[in-house]
Amino acid sequence: MTAQVETATATGRVVRVIGPVVDVEFPADAIPGIYNALRVEVTLAGETRTLTLEVAQDLGDNMVRAISMQPTDGMVRGTAVTDTGEPISVPVGDVTKGHVWNALGEPLDVPAASLEINERWGIHRSAPPFDQLESRTEMLETGIKVIDLLSPYVKGGKIGLFGGAGVGKTVLIQEMIRRVARNFGGTSVFAGVGERTREGNDLWVEMAEADVLKDTALVFGQMDEPPGTRLRVALGGLTMAEYFRDVQNQDVMLFIDNIFRFTQAGSEVSTLLGRMPSAVGYQPTLADEMGQLQERITSTRGHSITSMQAVYVPADDITDPAPHTVFAHLDATTELSRDISAKGIFPAVDPLTSTSRIMDRQILGDEHYNVAQEVKRILQKYKELQDIIAILGIDELSEEDKVTVQRARRIERFLSHPMYVAEQFTGQPGVTVPKDETVASFKAIAEGKYDHLPEQAFFMCGGIEDVEKKARELEK
Amino acid sequence: MAQVRELRQQIKSVKSTAKITRAQEMIATSRIVKAQQAVAASKPYADQITQALSALVSHHVGIDHPLLREQPEDNRSAVLIVTSDRGFCGAYNANVIREAESLIKALREQGREPVPYVVGNKGITWYRFRGREVNGTWHGFSDRPAFADAETIGRRLVQDFLKSDAEGGVGEIHVVYTEFVSMLTQQVQVRRLMPLEIEERHGGEQGSVPPSYDFEPTAEAALDLLLPNYVESRIFHMLLQSAASFQAAVRRAMKSATDNANELIGVYTRQMNQARQAQITQEISEIVGGANALADSGGE
Repeated sequence: MTAQVETATATGRVVRVIGPVVDVEFPADAIPGIYNALRVEVTLAGETRTLTLEVAQDLGDNMVRAISMQPTDGMVRGTAVTDTGEPISVPVGDVTKGHVWNALGEPLDVPAASLEINERWGIHRSAPPFDQLESRTEMLETGIKVIDLLSPYVKGGKIGLFGGAGVGKTVLIQEMIRRVARNFGGTSVFAGVGERTREGNDLWVEMAEADVLKDTALVFGQMDEPPGTRLRVALGGLTMAEYFRDVQNQDVMLFIDNIFRFTQAGSEVSTLLGRMPSAVGYQPTLADEMGQLQERITSTRGHSITSMQAVYVPADDITDPAPHTVFAHLDATTELSRDISAKGIFPAVDPLTSTSRIMDRQILGDEHYNVAQEVKRILQKYKELQDIIAILGIDELSEEDKVTVQRARRIERFLSHPMYVAEQFTGQPGVTVPKDETVASFKAIAEGKYDHLPEQAFFMCGGIEDVEKKARELEK
Repeated sequence: MAQVRELRQQIKSVKSTAKITRAQEMIATSRIVKAQQAVAASKPYADQITQALSALVSHHVGIDHPLLREQPEDNRSAVLIVTSDRGFCGAYNANVIREAESLIKALREQGREPVPYVVGNKGITWYRFRGREVNGTWHGFSDRPAFADAETIGRRLVQDFLKSDAEGGVGEIHVVYTEFVSMLTQQVQVRRLMPLEIEERHGGEQGSVPPSYDFEPTAEAALDLLLPNYVESRIFHMLLQSAASFQAAVRRAMKSATDNANELIGVYTRQMNQARQAQITQEISEIVGGANALADSGGE
């Protein structure tokens, strides 16, 4: 880091401080470029800290507007500001593995001096060129029935987990880390964006226990951090992942929890930067910011980044601009629904709205595709009938509809799945069900081969033999 | 916002459903009275024929007639199931069918072979959907059965009763129907119709000497004529009882359906108001925020 200070090109002074946004004046011939990192020494209560700012706007009259990465308490007008001449950078390479980093690329678990950082990359990079992109269409098996069946994940693809507050996004993403990253063999990067600090700690401890920490880089900018950090931490994590992909030619898993906080942080500083709020109060540059981030998360020839992103859905309204901008970038979307979590069915995946780019005969094969469509058809029909049942009662349905309802209720329950990370809540160990078994089981249920088993037997089961076992126990 | 429009549409559709169920409820209310009157109107004839028969039987002890005879050699049992043609009646048909199914199961356990005969579309579709064989079906009159309908059913049943197993006949006939106890209670009843058991009933006051009859040409010939008529009148009675019960079931089911619909409308309306208010609040805050931002930037 000292190297950067030496390359400093200019010194300016603070003109104005509005929360996390700072205006700085520079000599006319040395205005720093956009995204350049600036450094300020601030003394507060006898303690001197170095703050990092990032230039966001050119205001004219020799002034730039910058976003602070730390709280700006104690900063006064006239304080000297140094331009580092380059953007914020994070360490890349093997040194990042097994450690926890913040958005500025400083290690959080060990003193910085104990690490030998050879290479740093700026966090602002351009997306891979068009001809380098690869669109692989291989399915990534998770062993969770509902996901493999209805929203199959793509290897090297982008996966979004949407959900309102408290329906289980973080649990599901941790389950994915447990299921996929552990058996994955490659390198994983986890970016914690504006979520609970405790979860970051839990994850670190758990990964150390499972001995996968050595292959994982963790980058955190949690909810206690100012918006500037939350806005940049995802980029930091992504940069590390890109290095593994482009330089070390590895397959990488990138987990981001939670991409909405990135948008939220952007909206927190947007008005302070003087931009007019757009729909629902978000920044007018919403789609642009998201696009810049998402376009970089991609697989290039032969080397993939498979990313899983949790997306918070404010007020359970999926049409909200923030989650909606994320949609277009994803290969597979898994939506978690409050109605389903209220029924106690976990993971609370909404089978009707969750989907995937590879939900296609040619990729999944006829059998899988047909079963998935049939399951959706039955559940859709059940949903349509719900009003009639609520008003007239189930006896008024035609014989065919009654059978549909019975099967839909069984399918609904069978879509629940014991998860590894939820064992402490459910008291049931996690189960991995191979995709072919999942498809065969749902096919049999949809065809009515298990109509005779009681509904409760289908709840929280792994494969179909679990259902049969449970049914026998219930009979006793 | 899309949600408000969606909810509005949902409210509209539930409202029109409520309108239909409300109308059905009122129609049923007026029809119950008629159905009850029909039950009452059939009573004198039923009483008379029962009286005539019991007089005949009590005069000729040990009388023998094919319709009165147990048929131990025949193993098939007919089960006549009286359901309705229309739905909108709650669990009315489900109850009848459940009772019929338990009877069929019981008969099977006794080693007999049950043969269903079904009245009413709802029962017919139930059996057809399950691919079960039905020996005879009748429909089109469950709302307002006429005596001619009872006659058709009665003739067929008597005919099958007289045939042996091998010819596709039956050894006994059970009926499952719904008895109209009161406006609030209707009970599913299971009765054995044939072989006939004639209740010996004496008309007139207690202790009076029963009238003495002479039969021309013979008592047997009179029985031949009277017994099928008696069967038909019993069936007619059951059809009328079922029809009255059906109307009562419709009324009750439609009343609760209307209540449910109104409740649902309430829930949806609240949700819609909330969504609409959220939309208004958001728009106001956007306008105010925008105006403030403009004012701020204008001040510089």
